[in-house]
Amino acid sequence: MEARHVYKTYGSKSDKEPKKADTNTCVDTKSVIEAVKDVSLQIRKGDIKLIFGPSGSGKSTFLRCMAMLDIPDKGEIYLGDECLVEPGVDLNKARARIGFVFQHIYLFRHLTALGNVELALRQVFKLPKDEARKRALDALTEVKVTDCINKYPSQMSGGQAQRVGIARALARNPDIILLDEPTSALDPELTGEVIDTLRDLAREGTTMLIVSHEMPFAREVAEEMIFYDEGTIVETGPPSLFFNAPNTDRAKKFMTRIINRTTREEMNV
Amino acid sequence: MFEFLLNPMYQTWIVQGLILTIEITLFGILLGLGLGTLLAIGDIYGKKPVKAAIAVYVEFFRGSPLFVQLFLAVYTVPAILNIQIDHAFLAFLVFGLNSAGYQKGYMKGAMETILGDQMQAGLSVGMSKIQTLRHVILPQAYRIVIPSWTNEFCSLTKSTATLSFVGFLDLVGAGRSILINNMQILPVWIVIGIIYFVWITCFSKAMDVVYEKKKIPGVELIMQ
Repeated sequence: MEARHVYKTYGSKSDKEPKKADTNTCVDTKSVIEAVKDVSLQIRKGDIKLIFGPSGSGKSTFLRCMAMLDIPDKGEIYLGDECLVEPGVDLNKARARIGFVFQHIYLFRHLTALGNVELALRQVFKLPKDEARKRALDALTEVKVTDCINKYPSQMSGGQAQRVGIARALARNPDIILLDEPTSALDPELTGEVIDTLRDLAREGTTMLIVSHEMPFAREVAEEMIFYDEGTIVETGPPSLFFNAPNTDRAKKFMTRIINRTTREEMNV
Repeated sequence: MFEFLLNPMYQTWIVQGLILTIEITLFGILLGLGLGTLLAIGDIYGKKPVKAAIAVYVEFFRGSPLFVQLFLAVYTVPAILNIQIDHAFLAFLVFGLNSAGYQKGYMKGAMETILGDQMQAGLSVGMSKIQTLRHVILPQAYRIVIPSWTNEFCSLTKSTATLSFVGFLDLVGAGRSILINNMQILPVWIVIGIIYFVWITCFSKAMDVVYEKKKIPGVELIMQ
């Protein structure tokens, strides 16, 4: 999967009308926010890449552009050989091949864990009932939430719900899974179980692009880390680069801040 | 005082009236639900002209007396078009179209509280907008809307009293016909009133049961 020179702007200039119903993104009508400015990124089968950077810098928007949940203003998104921004491309089909995990989880509230995972298998992939059920159960077993298959989202803990969210993305064997800060909306004591799940996926060679600030996890699984700030990629490199000596000042400052925070948290626990 | 209830002819009128009232209300409210849903979707996703047309529709049906709408449908429109249509069918249409004007508001309100994140989730798994509406948004919206829908049912049932003014023998029509014969104003209207009361109470209690049965923890109206 690849992004080439992607741009995405919010605000009065590009949006004729903010689509409040569809997008959950803040739309500031007075000023124009350039959330993604000329961002290119390539991710091959089996890669695990991690995007990090200050909040509000546009990381989530970029990830949503990759999944075509937000349509880029300019630039191209490739899934395999297919360019997703061309007119006439069946975006639903493309999205079916891309797993997406949301920061705020977004499970289907009226369905149980099992129903959440099954729905796309039944409606998009048209699998027969028993096969969809089997695959859903497999996915839920993989993320270790078999104890709440018949629970509704409101009855699960945040960590369970997010793992169901991961199972929902996983069940259809997507080409890639995009994860938008999968642990940042969770209570600190619940992030561990989600991270463990992601670690398992990494071990199995799942292709992933993750927005996250879980630095120990990043150091462990990411082949490449991408420092993103003010709508663009500032610096790219292996974890060792960022943990030892980042080249740019901005990355240096950010790493210091975040490592201090992480150590503080670990001392508190 | 209530001897008139023993008169077989009056009994038939009352039973027929009740059946007509129930029929028109139920068909009307179901048509209203279907059409109200479509109007809500149109109002959320439609282009400007669609939205404007829906606004005109809603304001017409909410802003003019039901009796006038009924009169126009039963007498004026067939006369102008010079066609003969079954009056009961026309009455059913008017109540359905009228109710859709109100139900569109309930549905739109319910859908708007759901759409933000749930539409995103639906698209993210590869479903189309229509599939997401059908399998995710509407199942939640209908659950949320049941209490408002029960209110709408109560008020629509009583609105059907206007039917007798365009020549139908509904419950009020039955009462009026009995009055012409026996002139016992108070007892007749007490009986008719009680019948409305019992029917509406039974139905709304049944809807409360449906609401509780269909309820899913976490799927409720979020008060902001």
